[in-house]
Amino acid sequence: MASPSKLRIAIVGAGIVGVSTAFFLARAGVGVRLLEAHAPAAAATGAADGAVSVASKRPGAMMNAALAGIALYRELAAQGVLDGGFVSRSTFLVAVGAAEAAVLDGHAEALASAGVEVVRHPTSALARLAPALSPEAEGAIEVRGEGHAIGYDVVRRLIRAAELTVERGVTVRNLVQSSDGGLVGLDTDRGRIEADAVVIAAGGGSAELLGLDGVLRPRRGQLLVTERAPALNAALPGAIMSARYLLSKASAKGAPVSPRGYGLVIDPLRTGQFLVGGTRENDATRPIADVEAIGHVLADAVAMVPGLAKLRLLRAFAGLRTAVVDGLPLIGRAPGGDGVFVATGFEGDGICLGPVMGRTIADALLGRPATLDLSPFDPGRFLAGRVAA
Amino acid sequence: MNRAPVLVVGGGPAGLAAAARLADAGRAVDLVELRPALGGAYHRRPIPGVAPWPIGRAGEARWTRLAAGIERPEIRVRLRTGFLGVDGAGFTLLDDRTTGRVETMRPAAIVIATGAVEMVRPRSGWELPGVTTAGGLQVMMKETGRIPEGRILLAGSGPLLVALAGQMVAAGRPPAAIVETGDPFAHPIAGLGLLAHPGPLLEAAGHMARIFAARVPWRRATTLEAIEPTDAGLAVTLVDRRGARERIVVDRVALHDGIRSNDHGFPEASPTASALPFVAWAGDCREVLGVAAAEIDGARIGEEIAARLAGAPIATTSAIRRLAAARQAQDVLARVFAPARPPTPIERLPRETILCRCEGRTVGDLVDLLEGADAPGGREIKLSGRFSMGACQGRFCAHWVAEAAAGLRPDAPPPTPHDLTGRRWPSRPVSIAALVASNSSPDEPTRPT
Repeated sequence: MASPSKLRIAIVGAGIVGVSTAFFLARAGVGVRLLEAHAPAAAATGAADGAVSVASKRPGAMMNAALAGIALYRELAAQGVLDGGFVSRSTFLVAVGAAEAAVLDGHAEALASAGVEVVRHPTSALARLAPALSPEAEGAIEVRGEGHAIGYDVVRRLIRAAELTVERGVTVRNLVQSSDGGLVGLDTDRGRIEADAVVIAAGGGSAELLGLDGVLRPRRGQLLVTERAPALNAALPGAIMSARYLLSKASAKGAPVSPRGYGLVIDPLRTGQFLVGGTRENDATRPIADVEAIGHVLADAVAMVPGLAKLRLLRAFAGLRTAVVDGLPLIGRAPGGDGVFVATGFEGDGICLGPVMGRTIADALLGRPATLDLSPFDPGRFLAGRVAA
Repeated sequence: MNRAPVLVVGGGPAGLAAAARLADAGRAVDLVELRPALGGAYHRRPIPGVAPWPIGRAGEARWTRLAAGIERPEIRVRLRTGFLGVDGAGFTLLDDRTTGRVETMRPAAIVIATGAVEMVRPRSGWELPGVTTAGGLQVMMKETGRIPEGRILLAGSGPLLVALAGQMVAAGRPPAAIVETGDPFAHPIAGLGLLAHPGPLLEAAGHMARIFAARVPWRRATTLEAIEPTDAGLAVTLVDRRGARERIVVDRVALHDGIRSNDHGFPEASPTASALPFVAWAGDCREVLGVAAAEIDGARIGEEIAARLAGAPIATTSAIRRLAAARQAQDVLARVFAPARPPTPIERLPRETILCRCEGRTVGDLVDLLEGADAPGGREIKLSGRFSMGACQGRFCAHWVAEAAAGLRPDAPPPTPHDLTGRRWPSRPVSIAALVASNSSPDEPTRPT
């Protein structure tokens, strides 16, 4: 390949992953074409809960990636790039009932073994620590060193900071390769774009470009935002996550999972509002919230934080996260397609992982040594030797 | 045939007329009205114990007719009940503020008849306490029979200011002045067009006679530029046609810059009858043509939906011709009240001017957001700029934000107000307790997946 600054790079998708990749390339002085079918953060990034968190994770590759993700958020915040867009706060995993308390104990040990700072709070301490919590809460673990960032806000800040230009409303039809398999570029509804390297970060739309069948699945998440309530907001010291969420994520074994995948996270926002989620629904294809799910989530939320019942719901929304059938994202070089990179399938971790994966892919394009081991996410596990041309 | 009721949203003339025609055709109708009283903005009924506001003979006759039309067993009127929209599972959501529950239903069709909302152009100080809309003041007078204390200035443009001033004079509380951006007497030729519409003309003449008799100052070709709070009251800066400025002090300001359809956040009208529920729009929310046309349009839509649901052909009526006449009258009014000087484009107002009241977002915030290489679109302006993100959900500001954004970035596709408001449920903020009550309902219907 040519020297990095001469590379013609096209990125497909202006979600948090594509924009982060463009941001780190631009910082290195490499310009890109950033192609977006709709608008920046129009899909999963714009409908995410914004957790920059390892609280619900088990030790392993995803936790390591998430820890690197959090560290990068801190770095970008310190550099002023995110300028208040990253809120540092703890996540409190709260148990109701003996079964959840038991799950929580095991989870706390697992987190601690991975080097995460965890503080156990007994039931007696909760009234002082988090006065808005229901008296039904039976203990909590506080996962420290985490934060919150709103996906569309991060995307906007990165676009501004690197003075990126997004080409909106461009539909990429297919990759173009020469007869010997070398990358030529992309065909779009506005004509051909020649490129030496292509990064496909198009969420569910990546499947068609890569010729992936049955690998990516939409997983709907429904969320809601309340009106402002500063006093109640101040009575929660951080995000509240029901220990049941661990069951919904099936990251704790042996627990039944509802088809809606109900979980509960209550995040007190800087505005004084609350962001409450949510669901993890398999194969729901319309990103529209329904009252049954929102009512269910709210009933759980009110049981956890009774003061929420006095507030009004301002917005309910849904997004389609792109999940991979084996639960791990696809990140890295596509086999057989010289110069084709993939970064999708982050499911609910896109906000946490987007910037760090963008940096890692930018490093690979720039020929820099990798700072993160991408081998667990190798797209080759589904793409052995073939990329659609 | 689908025997589910038709949902009519809004208890103004269009909604009442539509409900009556649907009932004529044997349809069950649920008519919901968010306010505690029927009537819409024009015919708003007073709260119990207060005498109705006089509205003239033609108006009284219209109300008698509309009220009689819904006295039927097929029509169930539900006051204090809002329409929240249609959810992802296809359920129509109602916010019953009497029972405190959100209810779900599957109506055969939905008639959206939510009338108009007032436009108030952003200007310095328009968000201050003591500043209301003229229509809001008028509705309060109709509901409570009361006019707030103090010197009240009416400012902006359009016939509503004249009507309100006339009503205030009749009630013995004339306004401090009327400040009109247009110059109605400068358009005698255009004004002649109104002779074809004697009803509104006579009503206007009555109001104007009262205004002149009470010597209410009527400042034409004059714009209210700014409002500032002072110890003596609200200091208002007026600019006349020659650009000369004047300050006067009053206690309250009622602003009004015309009306537009109240269409934010609601589902779009269905192009064909195949989509269920079939959604139709009637009255001012479809096209602002005034109270008399709203009754005609509501009746037309009621008949049309009854025919569609019965699989019968849709009869052509005289309604289209009468609506065209009303459109012509609105055009004449728009010419008569055309601003004497072009208004300052929103994006060139002082930076600190509030655009989105709910979120406190200013002209300067929008200018900054739209600077730079990349031009964000409508939804990005909403999300990243927090414009139209508050409790009113853009009902009052989305229009102006979209207009200002188009002015700031002529190189980018202009955003629409709907880009900012969206069409999602809930169309208005809704009580979380009411949603939880809905969820625990024991007779909840089985939902499709």
